[in-house]
Amino acid sequence: MNKIDLLGRRKFITGLGIAAGAAMVAPAMAVSEKATGIKWDQEIEIVIIGSGFAGLAAAIEAKKLGAKDVHIFEKMSYFGGNSAINGGLFAAPVTPMQQKEGVEDSVERMVADQLAAGRGIADEALLRHVASHAMEALQMTLDAGSEYHPYLQQLGGHSVARTYQTTVSCGAGITQPLLKKCRELGVNTHNRSKFEGFLVGEKGEVLGIKMRENYHFGEDQPGKIIHIRAKRGVIMATGGFAQNVNLRMAQDPTLTSEVGCTNAPGATGEGMYEMFRLGAIPVHLAHIQSGPWASPDEGGFGYVSNYSIYNFPHSIAINRLTGKRFMDEIADRKTRADAELACRDEQGNALPPILITSYADSKKHPNTEKVIKYNVGWKFDSVEELAKHFNVPLNPLKAQIEEYNGYVKTGKDAQFGKNMTKAKDKYIKAPFTVVRLWPKVHYCQGGVMVNTKAEVKDSFTGEPIKGLYAAGEVCGGIHGVSRLGSCSIPECMVMGMTAARSMMKA
Amino acid sequence: MKTLKIMLALGMLSLASLSVQAVEIRDHHKEVIGKDCKACHDKGIKQFPSDQACLQCHDVSELAKQTARSEQDKWQNPHNNLHYGKELPCQECHSEHETKKPLCSNCHTFKYDKHKE
Ligand SMILES: Cc1cc2nc3c(=O)[nH]c(=O)nc-3n(C[C@H](O)[C@H](O)[C@H](O)COP(=O)(O)OP(=O)(O)OC[C@H]3O[C@@H](n4cnc5c(N)ncnc54)[C@H](O)[C@@H]3O)c2cc1C
Repeated sequence: MNKIDLLGRRKFITGLGIAAGAAMVAPAMAVSEKATGIKWDQEIEIVIIGSGFAGLAAAIEAKKLGAKDVHIFEKMSYFGGNSAINGGLFAAPVTPMQQKEGVEDSVERMVADQLAAGRGIADEALLRHVASHAMEALQMTLDAGSEYHPYLQQLGGHSVARTYQTTVSCGAGITQPLLKKCRELGVNTHNRSKFEGFLVGEKGEVLGIKMRENYHFGEDQPGKIIHIRAKRGVIMATGGFAQNVNLRMAQDPTLTSEVGCTNAPGATGEGMYEMFRLGAIPVHLAHIQSGPWASPDEGGFGYVSNYSIYNFPHSIAINRLTGKRFMDEIADRKTRADAELACRDEQGNALPPILITSYADSKKHPNTEKVIKYNVGWKFDSVEELAKHFNVPLNPLKAQIEEYNGYVKTGKDAQFGKNMTKAKDKYIKAPFTVVRLWPKVHYCQGGVMVNTKAEVKDSFTGEPIKGLYAAGEVCGGIHGVSRLGSCSIPECMVMGMTAARSMMKA
Repeated sequence: MKTLKIMLALGMLSLASLSVQAVEIRDHHKEVIGKDCKACHDKGIKQFPSDQACLQCHDVSELAKQTARSEQDKWQNPHNNLHYGKELPCQECHSEHETKKPLCSNCHTFKYDKHKE
């Protein structure tokens, strides 16, 4: 934790403190065991673990297909996981809005875009399955009452505009209506209920689970274990493991506690590891994506992330030690995250770089006002003032700005080859807005292997593990090396619905 | 209605257990629950209070009104917020025996001047 203090100014990553604390007080983990002789405390038709997009969509679909007794268990005190704090960006091909805006798109085209980002290791069959049903998932949110901005967006890596965004620009615009819908349909929702292991039959099939009730995350109160029989089976929708520093460092040692995290505190991965213990196949665990648009001055995703995603094309990122640029501001996520992590002072301590934007250009984004108001970004009237505030050498900075403005004029970045199209006519000039940058761990591409029926495959037999289904970020391999923005919501929801369908047919 | 609830809680005082770890943070709690730990610790002294314990006296909609913010910042209302609506259990942000930060501070730097950490 000391390293974090070195970054000064503010307590660096509040969420991280919570996760680390939780790891320390976590009771010895119960593990999966044979169900022989177990006394069942409860019997439930469908057990769903996790209350994000995947879990909620699974519950609604199961109810629609006639399930009587559906329960969602969530270890946190609140429902929604990463989904409730997500950006609300939802990609789908061949949608009404695309028709209205005259955008030509297809399932194949969306799959092709995702395959390119996956760099050869994405799972084409799963991508096609998700894209083919994405519109159904979007419809499920509309039926539940989600509202979307009246325009489409084209995010990085997508060849056409196919992304909807909720009017609140947050995934809560989906999780809140879905949760309400679940309850209307009679789904039972339990908070403070932590899944701790499977109870398996003679042939390794999942018969039920061990559930810790009255569980208080991050607190030293053990709660009580009960045994729940799952008649039709268990759907694991427990999300990623980005908040678990030990587990993510086991995959990628560069992702130390010094790198923050955008995820909800509950993204700690024990559900996934329990499936591995049972025999599930681990895929692509080391592909963990960091967001280079985050700020060390607030926790999580905060306000700066969307602010800088919007502003990078017409801004310069400056190393405070040298006063010079150090990267193409719109390179891919990994390139930028690595370049930021290399910004250090003479002692090698982290020295978060700054992103400088002309106020005239930055203010078009709705977050700019909030960034300044909540003290996670600053406005300066002159270069002198700015340089003094961040202790940046003045003359090199002035020279850099002048040089870069030359590139704006010619449309050619001789330093880093940035695509200057969107920077056209946008000179870096006073007054300025400035935020500090530092990458945060954002998304875990890896997880357990599933097929297009959301069945979890066994590593030795290659057959589905009976009674076990998984959906959402806890699954791996679908996106390959890099997930395209706005492609997780359709995946989580479609695979959640798929799990429910498979289970009801089994 | 509210007074009735307070009276009820006061009534429970007679059950008071005398092993006291003082309720130090909120003065009004001192008056109402005094030394009766069970007024909050409804699941037993060694267990955290249930998520419903606080709601014996407090009304979420009432609290949401008290902490309402301007239209532009309306979703920063801790008692009715963007991510969890009115459903956030009190203990995520409040505690009687220790200091706590509001949950929002995981990701945001909003100021809640009246929030006692
Ligand atoms: C800040 C942020 C912004 C994002 N923006 C976008 C975006 O705009 N578009 C997009 O497509 N993707 C986005 N993503 C990615 C996307 O939000 C996630 O991949 C997605 O929400 C995962 O959904 P899920 O249902 O798989 O898991 P989650 O929503 O994370 O839900 C999993 C739940 O399971 C619970 N859980 C975990 N372990 C246990 C256990 N042992 N027992 C009981 N419960 C347990 C967790 O507490 C959690 O509530 C974003 C992610 C973040 C963090």
